[in-house]
Formats: sequence, structure tokens, C-alpha cells
Amino acid sequence: MNLKFLVVDDSVTMRRIVINSLSNLNFKNYVEASDGNEALIKLEENPDINFVITDWNMPGMTGLELVKAIRASEKFNHLAILMVTTRGLKEDIIEALKSGVNNYVLKPFTPQVLKEKIEQILNSKN
Amino acid sequence: MKNDASVMNKLFEKLDDLKSIFLYSEKLIPVIQKLIDFMRNTIPLLENINQSITETTNKIPTATNQIDSVTSATEMATTEILDTVDKILSEIASARANVDNLINSQNGFLNEEIKEKLSLVLVSLDNINQHANNVTLSLQVQDITSQQLAAVNYLIQSVQARLSSLFQDLEDTNIGHMNKLPDKNVFNENARYQDTSQQQKEIDQIVTANNSPASQDEIDKLFLKK
Repeated sequence: MNLKFLVVDDSVTMRRIVINSLSNLNFKNYVEASDGNEALIKLEENPDINFVITDWNMPGMTGLELVKAIRASEKFNHLAILMVTTRGLKEDIIEALKSGVNNYVLKPFTPQVLKEKIEQILNSKN
Repeated sequence: MKNDASVMNKLFEKLDDLKSIFLYSEKLIPVIQKLIDFMRNTIPLLENINQSITETTNKIPTATNQIDSVTSATEMATTEILDTVDKILSEIASARANVDNLINSQNGFLNEEIKEKLSLVLVSLDNINQHANNVTLSLQVQDITSQQLAAVNYLIQSVQARLSSLFQDLEDTNIGHMNKLPDKNVFNENARYQDTSQQQKEIDQIVTANNSPASQDEIDKLFLKK
């Protein structure tokens, strides 16, 4: 499957770390956004994006709001969404799941965990 | 006559009461005096406290700006480290390709000892590559720290908002510039840089248990477990 990722995080550092990790996993096709609003614009501009990796805590539109917007959209609601965040409280995880994320990774993450979660999402989609 | 005696008795009773009041007042006066002295002494202290709080309130915007500066500076420094690590990774890839080419092109001409040494070089390059990648991953600390600093900033700004509001109520004046509080959703006050493998396992269990839409009962159970 030809995967194209949208990496959404307000921290340039985190975006680079996620992208480096994706590159090491041989996923070289990606676009970046610094918050939910920019992510929605990037989705419109890149209809071939099929996987979203998003942070939760961002100024402007948060990751959770982005997930809700994607799931409410007829055009994008099929997208795979992985949330990568520092929020580890059970109520946060439940809220994210109810909003429509496919899986959830806690920061700081390892490439192994990122790989596992991406594969789990892809396997569940196939 | 009997009536006059009764009136006189009442008069003496009242005089006794009055005497008691005077006696009590005599004891009370030093206490009141002490209270007045205490209040006199307290007023400058309260003025000092007031002045101190005013100064602190006025310094808060500077403090929050400094925290923002620290966040920007660490992000810039982290970007520089990432750039350097990227260069190292690129150099490693280039060195690895050169060694591979050498081994492949000169295969028939290289003696065993050189082949073995070159293999060791490749192993070292792979190790350096792995270490460089680990440095990159460790830089997640910058994002996590900036989340904590944002939480501290929010707390400081909340204190300033409360203090300004207090002054407004007391003096009907606005002391210092009252910042609008940032949206609480842009940071996570619980952010920690630590090994998350155990917590990730718990998250995996929740995610697995919630692959199908969660019922309210299931959610309630999770909340009860806390």
C-alpha cells in the first residue's frame, strides 16, 4: 500500500522526530502541519494522504478537534488516525477513542511502538 | 413609703450595674489600646504587602515572556542539534556506501584481514547510526518540557488574573496589564519525560477494549478503577 502521511504537531522538533522515525521505517511520503487548521488545508491540497499522525495539545485547532472534524467530514472520514501525545490519563484516551482515533501513542515514544501502532491500524483497515 | 424604698433599691441596683460596667471598662481599655496599637503597627505592614503584591503582579508579564523565550531558545537549540544529527547520519550513510562499494569492487583483491577490518568498520558505522537515531529520539524531551513550561505559564497568568481581580475589587483600579489566559488545551500539565512502556501497555489495553464504540458502562468502570 502506498502510504502518504500527514504529520501534525505544533513543535517543529516533534514533527522532525516523527518524520525521521517514519523514514527509518521506510515511509518516505509525508506532509506536515503545525495545527488542526493547517492540517485540514493540507488534506484538501493532498487528496492522496491516507494516514494522519497528530498531537493533541496545539494552539488554534487542537488534535482532538481535528480528529472530530475529520470524522465529521464525508470526504476524509476514512483516514487512519494515530494520536501521539503526552496525555496519558484514561479519560483522555477514552475521549480520543470516542472522537475517532484509531490508535494512541504516548510521548516519549520509540520507533518500535510507532511501527507497531501503524501496522495495527493498517491491519485493522485491511 | 414602701414604693419609695423599692425605687431606691432599683436605683442602687442600676448603680451597681453601672459600677460593674466601669470596672469592666477599666480592664477593657488597655486591651482596646493594645488593639489600636496593633492596628497602627499593622497598617504599614499591610501597605508593604500591598506594594509587594503590586510589584509582583507587574513583574508577571516579564516572567511569562521569559518562559516563552526559554521555550523558543530550547526549540532553536534542539533544531540545531537535529540538523547536526542529520548531517552525521548523512555522513554515515555516505561512508557506509563507500565501504560497501570498496568491498564489492575490490572483493577479489582484498585479503581476509582487510575484509574483516572493513566489516568491523561497517558494524561501527551501524552502531553510530543507531546512537545518532537515539539522540534524535531523546530530543522529545524538548517538546515535553515546553508543555510543562506552558503549564507553569498558565499557572502564573492565572495568579496574575486573580490578583488583578482582587485589586480591582478592593480599590476599583486595574493594577498591571491583565493578560488573557491562554487556552488550557494547548499544553499538558501532566507531561513527563520518562519511560512510557508500562503506561503504553495500559493504553493498549484500553484501546483494545475500546475497538468497538465504548458503552457508558465500560467507560464508567474505567473511571471507577482510577
